[in-house]
Amino acid sequence: MPINGNADPSQLTRYAPTMSSLDTEALTLPDVKVLQVIYEIDDSVMAELIPPALHPTIPPTMHVIGMRADDGPLGAFTLAIVRVGCRAAVRPRGLPTRAVCTAGEAAEALRDRWGFPITVGEPVMRQRYDRQSIQVDDGNVAVLSAQLIDPVPIGNGDLLYTAGMHVAHVERDGETKPWLVQVDPEFEVSRADRGQAQIDAFDNGFWDAPELRPVYPIVASFTTANVTLPAIRYICDPEQPAISGTVAL
Amino acid sequence: MKFGIFYEISVPRPWENDIEHTVYHRCLEQVRLADELGFHSVWAVEHHFLEEYSHCSAPELFLTACAMQTKQIRVGHGIVVCVPQFNHPIRAAERAAVLDILSDGRLEFGTGRSATWTELGGMGANPDETKETWDEYTRTIPQMWTNERYGYEGRAFQMPTRAVLPKPYQKPHPPMWVAVSSPGTEIDAAERGMGSLGLTFGGFAEQEEKVDRYRRIIRDCEPAGAFVNERVATVNFLYCHPDNETGIKTGSRLTGSFGYLAAQLLPVREVHPTRSYPNPGLLAASRQQAAQNPGEGASAPEGVCIGNPDRLIEEIKKWESCGVDQINFLLNALETIPQEEVLESLRLFGEEVMPHFQDDQPATTSQPRELAATAAAGD
Repeated sequence: MPINGNADPSQLTRYAPTMSSLDTEALTLPDVKVLQVIYEIDDSVMAELIPPALHPTIPPTMHVIGMRADDGPLGAFTLAIVRVGCRAAVRPRGLPTRAVCTAGEAAEALRDRWGFPITVGEPVMRQRYDRQSIQVDDGNVAVLSAQLIDPVPIGNGDLLYTAGMHVAHVERDGETKPWLVQVDPEFEVSRADRGQAQIDAFDNGFWDAPELRPVYPIVASFTTANVTLPAIRYICDPEQPAISGTVAL
Repeated sequence: MKFGIFYEISVPRPWENDIEHTVYHRCLEQVRLADELGFHSVWAVEHHFLEEYSHCSAPELFLTACAMQTKQIRVGHGIVVCVPQFNHPIRAAERAAVLDILSDGRLEFGTGRSATWTELGGMGANPDETKETWDEYTRTIPQMWTNERYGYEGRAFQMPTRAVLPKPYQKPHPPMWVAVSSPGTEIDAAERGMGSLGLTFGGFAEQEEKVDRYRRIIRDCEPAGAFVNERVATVNFLYCHPDNETGIKTGSRLTGSFGYLAAQLLPVREVHPTRSYPNPGLLAASRQQAAQNPGEGASAPEGVCIGNPDRLIEEIKKWESCGVDQINFLLNALETIPQEEVLESLRLFGEEVMPHFQDDQPATTSQPRELAATAAAGD
């Protein structure tokens, strides 16, 4: 059977929030700019990046995601996320290792209501005629710089975004422990471009994935979309295969 | 209705103790039995890098072994990936011709273009271009087979005039097929006068719609080859057991394992958005199957050929009424079912199910036509 992850879930919780409730209402963020840069990663450590509930994809992948909302219910914010591509049983998923968000209100909501492993920082998304980029600095050092180069328009329906499995501390049956919280946003895309993927800087220590190493670019996309963050429907025990460890709420 | 067997050649981890050798030789044993039982064809896919799911990267070699060990069963080279980074079209034509000669004219030639980033990315192929290269291959390979000498200048490849040798044993050439895993590809098959080699596990209604569309369009086709191969084949699972419940339970392990493995691969559409791959095709269908039926189900999904002979006869009659000409069966995945049980299942199917279906079609239902002149550079 496929390879399972072997990361100790307790080692994946450095930035994991505690969710006081899973009873979250859906929320739509209008006209969000979404940059996604996908790379293949060093396969020698693929199982160490994800918990036993998940399988690495074949080949293993990472997603760098930048989101910028200029307005909406959470105010203006920019968000950078690094995820490891994976499977929960047969479903395509991404496991965020860390996220950095600009503004306090949005960061708090994304952490508390959807379990994003967020710290507050200064991610910057830039849009040029020939490229779109996301950059995160730690002090004066770029810990992430990823780009889409030479965008060409594609159909709004050509893109697929995979759901996230967010490690968060959740209380269930009187016990608080790490769970994987499934967050599957809906993207209503109004414009989409595709281009070459390029990662110029990536500090895997900063992103809490010391072994994660991008090695081969796949593709990048840039969209404008109404993004609906959903109600939480499923959580999964990170220690068990997702096919048996998934709990419907 | 004809019956075939279909190989991905799934090899479970750990890949030690000669497991690949064991699995390949078990497959050959199954093929020999299928030949004795009167199965029409054995198909082998071409896949690369698909860990556990398919270790069948050189199907022409496997099929040559099949041909050498059997007498009647036709060998389905399906599909040949028609993308230059995988196969140069001249080599594809040459290898197929040799296989046709060695099998005494038993070759069926399937064409396709791969649907995973796992493979296309691994070979350095551009997913945007595979439909175009596939189209060029389907029009030029028959020209290489039927013209003494041939030259071509196209987008996928160019060649000065040469004699592509040897020529196939079947005249004018072996029947050609198109792998159909995405909705709409049956139209591509029909427009080119090629057989529709279904690779998804859809239900009856979906299949009937596809067949109707295929039959309607192929009437006015412009054949890519020298004749029209109007046939519709679909893929299915097979586990036949005297006890229906046991058959369904064991067969469900097979369908679940297959779908679970397929889901671990990266479909092009998931990571590389392109209009060339409007949906995930086979992988999505397999994922759906595995999700509904993770391996221990007590009921079989519509149309899946697992259970006792009576149930299988009933399901196959429904496929027949949808207009399907042939069903190709997957017999195992991950060695989930022990070899003896696979062989028993085949025997039972051959003895109690096959006699209910008259094989009233000739080996190919093709009508010879003028070789299409659409690959204009041929000389």
